[in-house]
Amino acid sequence: MSFFGFNTTLPRDRAPAGEQRGIFDTPDPFAEVARARLAANFRDDKDDDVIDFEDTYDGLGDQLDDDQDAFNDDTFGGGFDTGPVGKDFDFFGKTAQVADVIGEEQIRYSLQKPGAPATAPSQPTADAALPDTADQKPKRSGYEKYNDPGYIPDLQAKSSVWGMSKKPEQQFQQQLQQLQQPTPQMVAQAKKMLSLEEVEAQLRRQGPSSLPAQIPLSLPQSMPEPTQPLQRAQMPPLPEGFPQLPPEILQAQFAKGVPPALLQHQPPMVPEPYPLPPNLPIHMLQNANLPPQHMVPPQRQAMPPAAQRPQQQQPPLPQAPRGNNVQLPVITNSQQLMHLTEEQRVAYLMEDAKRAKRNHKIFLLSRGNGLMTPQDKNFITRIQLQQLVAAAGNVADSDAEAVLAEDFYYQVYSQIRGAPRQHPHQPLGHFAQTYLLQTGNRLGGHGSRRQFQSADNHMQRMQQQVQRAVEAAKQKPKNKQLIIEGSLGKISFSNAKTPKPMLNIKRPESSEGAKTVKKPHTDLSVSDRKSVLTNLESVYSTLMDMEDMERTMPPPPDENDPEAIQKHMEWRQKIRSLNQKLWRNLKVMEPIVPNTNTPHPFIAFLAYPKGKKAIPRIFRHIDQEQRVTILTMIVVHLDSLDVVRRAQPVPGETQPSLAVREAIELFSQAVMPSLLGYVNEAPFNIIIGLLGLVIAQTHVQMISRTRIGLGILTMLLSRAEIVKEAGQATERDWQQWVEKFNVLFDTLEPTFADIFPSAINAGDDMYVWQFLAAVGIGASPEQQQRLVIAVKDRVMETVTYSKTLPADMASARLGNVNLFMRAIGLDVELLG
Amino acid sequence: MLFFSFFKTLTNQTVTIELKNDIRIRGTLKSVDQYLNIKLDDVDVLDLDKYPHLSSVKNMFIRGSVVRYVMLPRSEVDIGLLEDATRREAANQAGKAR
Amino acid sequence: MPAPESNMERLPMNENPAGAHHGNAPQGFPPQNNTLGPMSQGPPQLPPQMFTTAAQLLDLTDKKLVLVLRDGRKLIGVLRSWDQFANLVLQDTIERLYAGNLYADIPRGIFLVRGENVLLLGEIDLDKEDDIPPHIQRASFQEVFELKKKEDGARKVGDKKRHGKLQTLGFEPEHSGEILF
Repeated sequence: MSFFGFNTTLPRDRAPAGEQRGIFDTPDPFAEVARARLAANFRDDKDDDVIDFEDTYDGLGDQLDDDQDAFNDDTFGGGFDTGPVGKDFDFFGKTAQVADVIGEEQIRYSLQKPGAPATAPSQPTADAALPDTADQKPKRSGYEKYNDPGYIPDLQAKSSVWGMSKKPEQQFQQQLQQLQQPTPQMVAQAKKMLSLEEVEAQLRRQGPSSLPAQIPLSLPQSMPEPTQPLQRAQMPPLPEGFPQLPPEILQAQFAKGVPPALLQHQPPMVPEPYPLPPNLPIHMLQNANLPPQHMVPPQRQAMPPAAQRPQQQQPPLPQAPRGNNVQLPVITNSQQLMHLTEEQRVAYLMEDAKRAKRNHKIFLLSRGNGLMTPQDKNFITRIQLQQLVAAAGNVADSDAEAVLAEDFYYQVYSQIRGAPRQHPHQPLGHFAQTYLLQTGNRLGGHGSRRQFQSADNHMQRMQQQVQRAVEAAKQKPKNKQLIIEGSLGKISFSNAKTPKPMLNIKRPESSEGAKTVKKPHTDLSVSDRKSVLTNLESVYSTLMDMEDMERTMPPPPDENDPEAIQKHMEWRQKIRSLNQKLWRNLKVMEPIVPNTNTPHPFIAFLAYPKGKKAIPRIFRHIDQEQRVTILTMIVVHLDSLDVVRRAQPVPGETQPSLAVREAIELFSQAVMPSLLGYVNEAPFNIIIGLLGLVIAQTHVQMISRTRIGLGILTMLLSRAEIVKEAGQATERDWQQWVEKFNVLFDTLEPTFADIFPSAINAGDDMYVWQFLAAVGIGASPEQQQRLVIAVKDRVMETVTYSKTLPADMASARLGNVNLFMRAIGLDVELLG
Repeated sequence: MLFFSFFKTLTNQTVTIELKNDIRIRGTLKSVDQYLNIKLDDVDVLDLDKYPHLSSVKNMFIRGSVVRYVMLPRSEVDIGLLEDATRREAANQAGKAR
Repeated sequence: MPAPESNMERLPMNENPAGAHHGNAPQGFPPQNNTLGPMSQGPPQLPPQMFTTAAQLLDLTDKKLVLVLRDGRKLIGVLRSWDQFANLVLQDTIERLYAGNLYADIPRGIFLVRGENVLLLGEIDLDKEDDIPPHIQRASFQEVFELKKKEDGARKVGDKKRHGKLQTLGFEPEHSGEILF
């Protein structure tokens, strides 16, 4: 066999595999087995066929002229007078580093497995003295975890990796002996890939008495090592009348519609009769969606005692074939097969053939398994983890900021949408480090401590290693050039910093084209798109800075600790300056230019969705005075606010366009709550002032036709009412308010009927009823009467309309109307 | 690392990936790595007739460099957060360049 | 005016509902302990190991796979080894040539593939692999090869035309110089 355990025979030298066929669809699937045996035989008989060096040596070496070696020093730089060679040729040094790692792995392995000696792989070990250990250790097929979604690779070692396999000759001798005495031992030994016929034969010979009552082992598990010498001649003789039917052929027969009755005479999959209650009801039999081993002839289920399988610590759960939902009974007995319906029998046999076929395939694949050891995989994982940690920066000084910078989205997202039990104020987690520590704790903290101790150590070691690697990376000067360590040949020309351009648009030569680009910046207003977007981004980055500051807020200072006080002062100072920066970027204090088409920069800011979304975050970081300033700016510019200006009803349209509706919705959800939050605590004189501004500065009739406009008005009116109810309003203030209110009422009275969405069925009109209720509560009895007259038609219309609606919708609509009706002491019930 | 960070939050979501050779593959995103290689489970190749070599494939490792688009479930993306993450990334890059 | 606090959009890192009363120094942020004690519990995130090339290839090791290379070749073999660049070792490999409704297999042996040439790597369902789609038929290598040569030529011409047109519009081809499929 070759060094790596590959099958090194060239395709042309392989066993007849049909014309141009790959090994996976050879017509005789057992040819591979035969070949493996051939190969094994070859190795065992090496004395016979090995080519002798002396026979083939052509004697060329004798003709070499040794005198020419005199110039070797000139060529290779030897001699006494040359300087030190330097590190350029220090291959050993590099190799030693790798060797250290390998050595480390090996020591770790031996620690994990106290029984395993930490010797070099080439040395034969005590293992050889224990027959049946190595070859009975089932070879992992790699498919055990077939459909376990939560599969996390265990990083345990396998002894085979470290050269624990036996000397072939010894093994062979043992096997010969065992084969000569057909004992259970032999059965276990012969658990190499047996053809189905061979298994049958054994079954027949041994008879029912030897049916072992042991835990079944899945077939792939019991796959033998293909390199075991297995000679057909030493196999039990095949019983007569058992044609060699590979599963594929069997399946093909089914596909062709060969009646199953024919096949019953030669059921290659079904073992000979075992006494079973003949009338066992089918539903008592387990369903066939079961692991394959239930179908396997009992002999195969013979399992070596646990002690002989040191590596197989937890035999992976046998896997059910995927996507196979056919409910089939388990057959352990051919009589049972007779009791099945024709259909079930066909299905069963098909299923079984399929399973056998798959298992056979898995066996073929498994021949080279384990070339890549868990250590190898682990090693590469660690390399990558180190890269990740190094990219995220700093592990050693727990710099959460660096991790946040590189993995912000994931870190925060998993906190937001993660399990609710986490601590919301926890510093955002550390990347690999957190995980490593966590795992160590979790494993160490639970029950079987001893078992997990090595894992614990392993995790700690891994963490230390990561830290070391990061330290080293930090000390190394940053390499400006793009060199990927260990890469061969040329590397990609584009990278994240200098991506390959996908667009290459040539600017037209014409002078105009060039001119537009050079257009001077100066004539841009403070409210042009570019400036506003720049402001927006500045606001956001300042906000993020402030939010970061919150996380690093020092503890409340202790009076006796000047240093803490100092720290706190500095922190406050920083926050203050950030607040100023935020305020500047918001452009709230830009002068108001009357009678202009250019909106105020802050109003332009609010026209963008991300401007609206910023408001709640901004309100958290500004003081009351700043808040009232913002509210004032909004009120003064109500009719130039995008959500008011663009929401004006258009004749012929029942509602504003989708984009406008979305903007309104966003404004209602992002901006209004912040404003309302302030207004609910605002002193009465401010409310009066704001109402005065609405009346003086805006077109009240225009804003009252929009949802946001009405919302702001409702906010002010209801706050005034609450202040009055609470008895907090002075007589003078109240007089002022009533004056303003009367102006508002008189202005709006002619349009009360127009403030509704045009059509009665055009959706939500609750905000209108809310507004009317707020007006009604503050109105004088005479005003209330005028109000009723103004909206009476709409009230009746809504009552009538609601009668055509399902009960719940109707009561919602009537409830809205009643909001208003009750405010003026009426009720829809009274309308009948 | 923004995209890496972003795609990590989409594990176990159903995504559709369009490769630069126009193959479109829908599947469950199992994992993504720093090169934006993608591991898909339970794949479903759209227009399978055109790509018979993928007919028996159930899980897939896709090299990041050949991906053209990833179509994702909108509800699983926190747009505001993503905007902030993008800003941070930009600030980082600017900081590094300096 | 309803107070739609409840359906306010979720904001990142926003622990307090907007509009709540605040002084200039926000409350509710306890002092941060940035040292990572041994008992510290981070957020329940997925282990970083999950997000490595290694984790992605782990499950595919020792499995039968179809490997599609960037030049369009389809290799079917058993993945035996790999590294973090997705450099791969495939054993018992066959190359499967597709053209029109035909395909042919060529036995190849062991492949060591440099990662950058990988397009995708698919795990083959052993139960399904023999169900060749009904419209596809096996043919001799010669036949498929000739047909494929023709197809490739035709596609190259088409691609060149398309790229030429796109380039006049300023689009650089997505994979300049490579046939990708």
